[in-house]
Amino acid sequence: MWPCVAALLLLPLGGCARRTGPSALTEHTAADFSDALHSGKTLFIYFQQLVSPTISLFLVELEQSADALQHYGVLVGKVNCNKESFHGYCAEEKAVNTVFLFRGGKEFLGFSLDIVFDVNSIVSEVLFAILREEIKYVHTETDLLAMEKAARGRKDIALCYVSSLGTQEHRSMMETAYVLCFTQATEIRRVICFTRFTQPWRRKPKGIGHRNPPKKLIHRARLSFSVSPCSVDETSRSSQVWFLHCSGHSRSMTSEHCPSTRMSQPLSTLSLHSFLQLMEAPLVSEVYQDPSSVRPPQHPYQDTPQVFLFSRPATKREDLYEATALAWRLRGLALVLLVHRSPAVKTPEEYNAAYKLPEKGSVVKYLRSNSADELLELFTNPVEEDEDEEEDEDEEDPEEEPLDALDDEIAESVFENRLNLPDADSLAQLTSDNFHATVAQSSLTVALFYLPWSAVSNAVLSSFSDVAERLEGSEVQMSVVNCAEWTDLCAAESGGSPPIPFQPITAFPTVLLLRPKESAQRYGGLLGAEALHRFITLSQPASPVLLSTEEEVTSFLLEGFARYKPARALGLFRTRADAGVRQFTEAAKSLRGEVLTGLLTDGLAEKWAAEHGVRLPAALVLPSGAKRTRASALPASASAQELLSHIGAALLHPVPELTVENLPSFLSLGRGLLLLFVGEEEDEIGHTQNQALLKEMRDVVELGGGWMERYLVCWLHLGHTPAGMSVLGSYLGSMPPLPALVLTHLPSGSEVYQYPPNTPILASSVLQWLQRVEDGTESAAGMLGGGSWPPTTELFDFLKIMDMQDPDLSRQRASEEKVEEGGDSFPARDKYPHTEL
Amino acid sequence: MDPSLPYLTLLILIGCTECFPDDRQQNGTGRYDYCVLGAGPSGLQMGYFLSRAKRDYVILERNSGPGSFFNKYPRHRKLISINKIYTGSQNREFNMRHDWNSLLSDRPNLLLKRVSRDFFPPADAFPVYLSMFEKELGLRVRYGVDIGRIGAVRSPEGRRYILTDQHELDYTCSVLLVASGLWVPQRVEFVGSDLVEGYESISTDPEDYKDQAVLILGKGNSAFETAQSISGRAKLVHMLSSNPVRLAWQTHYVGDLRAVNNDLLDTYQLKSLDGLAEIPLDKIAITQLKEQGWSRSGAKKKVNKPKFCVTLKKYLQHQEEKNGSDARRAETLEYQLDNFSMRKPYDRVISCLGFRFNFSIFQSSARPLNSDNAKGRLPRLTAWYEGDNTPGLFVLGTAAHSRDYRSSAGGFVHGFRYTVRSVHRVLEQRYHGNPWQSTELSTTQLQSWILKRINEASGPYQMFEVLGDVILLRGSRCEYVEEFTLQALPRFSSLSGHEVSKHGLIVLVMQYGKNKVDYLGRGRADTEWTTAWKSNFLHPVLYYYDKLPTDEEMKLRPPGWPLPRPKAIHHMVEDFLTEWGTPISHIQPLRRFLEHCVQTDLRAFYNHASACPSPTASRRCFVSRAT
Repeated sequence: MWPCVAALLLLPLGGCARRTGPSALTEHTAADFSDALHSGKTLFIYFQQLVSPTISLFLVELEQSADALQHYGVLVGKVNCNKESFHGYCAEEKAVNTVFLFRGGKEFLGFSLDIVFDVNSIVSEVLFAILREEIKYVHTETDLLAMEKAARGRKDIALCYVSSLGTQEHRSMMETAYVLCFTQATEIRRVICFTRFTQPWRRKPKGIGHRNPPKKLIHRARLSFSVSPCSVDETSRSSQVWFLHCSGHSRSMTSEHCPSTRMSQPLSTLSLHSFLQLMEAPLVSEVYQDPSSVRPPQHPYQDTPQVFLFSRPATKREDLYEATALAWRLRGLALVLLVHRSPAVKTPEEYNAAYKLPEKGSVVKYLRSNSADELLELFTNPVEEDEDEEEDEDEEDPEEEPLDALDDEIAESVFENRLNLPDADSLAQLTSDNFHATVAQSSLTVALFYLPWSAVSNAVLSSFSDVAERLEGSEVQMSVVNCAEWTDLCAAESGGSPPIPFQPITAFPTVLLLRPKESAQRYGGLLGAEALHRFITLSQPASPVLLSTEEEVTSFLLEGFARYKPARALGLFRTRADAGVRQFTEAAKSLRGEVLTGLLTDGLAEKWAAEHGVRLPAALVLPSGAKRTRASALPASASAQELLSHIGAALLHPVPELTVENLPSFLSLGRGLLLLFVGEEEDEIGHTQNQALLKEMRDVVELGGGWMERYLVCWLHLGHTPAGMSVLGSYLGSMPPLPALVLTHLPSGSEVYQYPPNTPILASSVLQWLQRVEDGTESAAGMLGGGSWPPTTELFDFLKIMDMQDPDLSRQRASEEKVEEGGDSFPARDKYPHTEL
Repeated sequence: MDPSLPYLTLLILIGCTECFPDDRQQNGTGRYDYCVLGAGPSGLQMGYFLSRAKRDYVILERNSGPGSFFNKYPRHRKLISINKIYTGSQNREFNMRHDWNSLLSDRPNLLLKRVSRDFFPPADAFPVYLSMFEKELGLRVRYGVDIGRIGAVRSPEGRRYILTDQHELDYTCSVLLVASGLWVPQRVEFVGSDLVEGYESISTDPEDYKDQAVLILGKGNSAFETAQSISGRAKLVHMLSSNPVRLAWQTHYVGDLRAVNNDLLDTYQLKSLDGLAEIPLDKIAITQLKEQGWSRSGAKKKVNKPKFCVTLKKYLQHQEEKNGSDARRAETLEYQLDNFSMRKPYDRVISCLGFRFNFSIFQSSARPLNSDNAKGRLPRLTAWYEGDNTPGLFVLGTAAHSRDYRSSAGGFVHGFRYTVRSVHRVLEQRYHGNPWQSTELSTTQLQSWILKRINEASGPYQMFEVLGDVILLRGSRCEYVEEFTLQALPRFSSLSGHEVSKHGLIVLVMQYGKNKVDYLGRGRADTEWTTAWKSNFLHPVLYYYDKLPTDEEMKLRPPGWPLPRPKAIHHMVEDFLTEWGTPISHIQPLRRFLEHCVQTDLRAFYNHASACPSPTASRRCFVSRAT
């Protein structure tokens, strides 16, 4: 197995080698492009429409990458659009600046020339795309913990932190990852890219493409936190690799993390590969001969120093233990051999250690060492010196540079895409002048109130225009209001004309649903396109829908709505004139967009109520996705607010799934959360297990009866809601095994209780546990944070800087100093101040 | 007898009853909660706010129309406040930054541009505009009421001001808002000052200055306006005052010489016959030259107009003589100082020294003190524009300029329209218990709101370093109070009616840098946000206090600062476009500063980070709603 890998690695992959021989770049014609495409091969094709110096430069790089990529089964080619008019891509404008990757006969991904501009970036990005499924990403410490947990006893993890994409380092990593993922017979590891902490700025030579990120921004992100055990040094800007030894360690380890080794050499394909190979080497080998006669390490470890420790029969166990401890520390730097003293070992007793460097002709050096640290220094010092030098070179840039890196992910992504931000002008603009006329024109106008400089506004503008596109041709008028321009409209100042139907806008962005002659409805959901589209779609029918025939009722309850299956609530009243109808109608108004509401009166209402065994007034509710309607009697004289909470309670699933979207509404119920965290199901068995767990939770609700009403029993799927991972971590201080059941958000305090992790989750024992919690006999497993979410960075203290550079500038005057009134004059204060007004 | 006589008498009688349409005035006991003295821009501006709040008020004006000052001044009939109609923006608030003549109202179109589209409008446009403002808003102005006497009395209900007009009719007011402007010409007393003509009465016809040597006292805008007008006819124009000329574009003070008036600087420096000189005016003496010359030919001398010589008081031999203006040749500087710059006699001397507040109508019980600055020409006021010793008497408009004399725009329409609004808010809180208008925000929205204000608000922009927005921090919420009078910050709670919580407050101020730099030279602007505190041009500054500063701290604030040293300060770097909206240089540093003030991470997050697995994939992610 290894020789094959090695053969691959011995290829000149350094990126600096310029080949002169025949190129691997294929120039395709229409026919052979189509053949190649249908052969299912992976193709990386550029459709050349233009000739420009930039493009020519790029083609040279593309040609070089063809050689490299062919080893990974990727055929690199170009189609000259000028030679023959080509279908599709040649005609597309965006293809001028895009290279396409085809897999399995289909377009897989397009790469902008901003991203793929040289050999390194091409190879790294293409492999990056191909390995998308194979490589996992770590964003937070909890992600890592979960991943380590999953790998325990099964796999090891190579964890790579790449400071910027499209670089030599990134390429080396991807090439190694490819080898690991596709060429090894047993897939024992996963390479995990650890890129989230950085700016994904790309290194880019000047003169290519249009976008040169400000120099100071190139991979200069200050890392906002560190992930132990692989703490990413705050000041370090270079890529790093760790090997997490998870396979040999199951749960019994004291630390939550797998033991890890950091690669100390600079990252290159070769160094990375030999590092990973070294990780495979036995930790300690035991020999019974003299170090001088021990064979030098065999391939692939031939470049690794050997460290010999001597062991006496009397202290055999201790010696092995010590050697193992040292070997852990020397992992990746040297191989540790334990030499059992025997007649064959000639080394004088005074020496207790020896080492041999890999260089040809080097001899074994013997020494007497008192501590492991001494030995360690032998191999770590030179490396550290190198590192120091490197860092010194890097220090040329002043310290504040990392301050300029955007640390707000929305601001950052909007900034990154600033050339491709959606154009607000393509949407209808509401202004102070056209507001009333525009709103009067359509039955529903959706208005996004935004500020052009707000990153969140811009991000939402993008999902908003998506929704607008999807709703094109419908009754809905999608519009935007630029509040930096129409400040009086956003402040709801009518200036005399008809009153503005909304309160002044004080939060940006805000989405309002406007209907002629009605007051505006504020959208309170998530700002993504999907959620917005759903809300708008469901807002279109009247609320409530007035039903008068049996068919109408049936279709109201059963009909799908676009592709959404909204929750439905049907009010049943004796007559239209019933006092409750007005309240119900009001409640329906505020449910609009979330719940479809209908109103049924008279004989038909009586009939439906009778069928469901309730008396009028009543409500029939059908939760989203549920099959059967539930009926409940409504209080005779309820306010709209009471009706709302009544309907809300009726719609609530007995054991709902908790998502980011519904968390606020769940918390607002003021009940403690009995929350089950389940992991992503990897197979059918996992799925069945999760279903069984949910069944137990339903039983908890049923068995508990009225007593359980003080709790909201719910579950969180870490696959659907990955954010739950860090939530769970922060509840308990560490990542518990899944499934995990916790009791939290109790009205009585901020304690978090964890159901005993090793006990099967059974309804009866959960109830007993809850009882114990109530009795105070269970101790809390964690506390909810006090909502403290500290500032992201240290204060950039202008006062301190002023004090340093000009101490008098910001100092309060002493009381005896004369306080001069009036402003400063120019030039300096005059003896005869004299001016006119 | 003329048969028409009875009719005439009848007409007169009818006319007389119409003289007193209001019975309040007829019985001589007009009582009002608010009296506004003067229907100029500041009086009408206050009238608008009082009228909108439905208060019992009257505006008293001695002339027959509003803004009568502008019927005469500026003498050469060109307003130098800009009337920029095209700004590329529809934002009404923002556009007021570039409209220096209009008053504030809720009518989008009640702006000076309806009357004149000139960048520097003719002076006649202004009273027309004011009249339009008064009529369209239906303000209660009583014209032809010339208040000659103002006194204060103590009454059971509190202090009252009694204003007596030319008919000895009294107006009794709980609150007196003096908006009478400045119109008494300022004079400097020196030997021969009686020989000087005043700006208020000179001829504005350049032909009257043909071939004359003219000396102008003063180097402000009226002096230069006069010089500019006559320089095409006069033989030479010299300008004399104690200080070198101060250019408004250098001092950022619009009361200094505006470029629109400064032609004479050009002709002076390009060696035409004009010139500027500096001598304190109270040190000079102007003498009328007696033609003692004799004619060699014995021919009869031509009768010349009198000539005037400038000399220094110390050279006068007969200082004690009242009639010192008739000087002999020996007393002129030409004789005393060989190359004295003003050794040649002048045909005219014109005084253009500005105006002073008319203190004369106030009886001692109601008389505001003289200001410490501006040579005492103005009333001395508290930071909320109340007379220091006259509670219930507020001064508005140009006369209130002692608060920001020579430093901000409070003496000019584009500045005092905002201070008038602030005074009105003080009145509403003090007399009616209505706290200052404020906006309640979620703390996560604070950054957006601050940026919005910074990029559009006109009040703090015009009244830089005088008015500022106060943000009261309350944990997850905050209260945004606009345009508070900064110097009154120690009294914030009682003046505004808003309490300051333990979370402290942020004050947003627009300010210029205090360093003297070459305003057109290299390195005049800073672009690095980390050195924003060195910004020279107008830029936003945020002051964070954990509690209100005290009066003492305010008094001892660092020299040149509008506020005392705060707990933390943030300067937003000056911007060429005066637009503060760039992600790296403006927004992120502001956010980080605010995070420290509220001790909370204020970033926004995608709610579904895993939806954006790789940075190469397009980021169509869900954005979580900021709550």
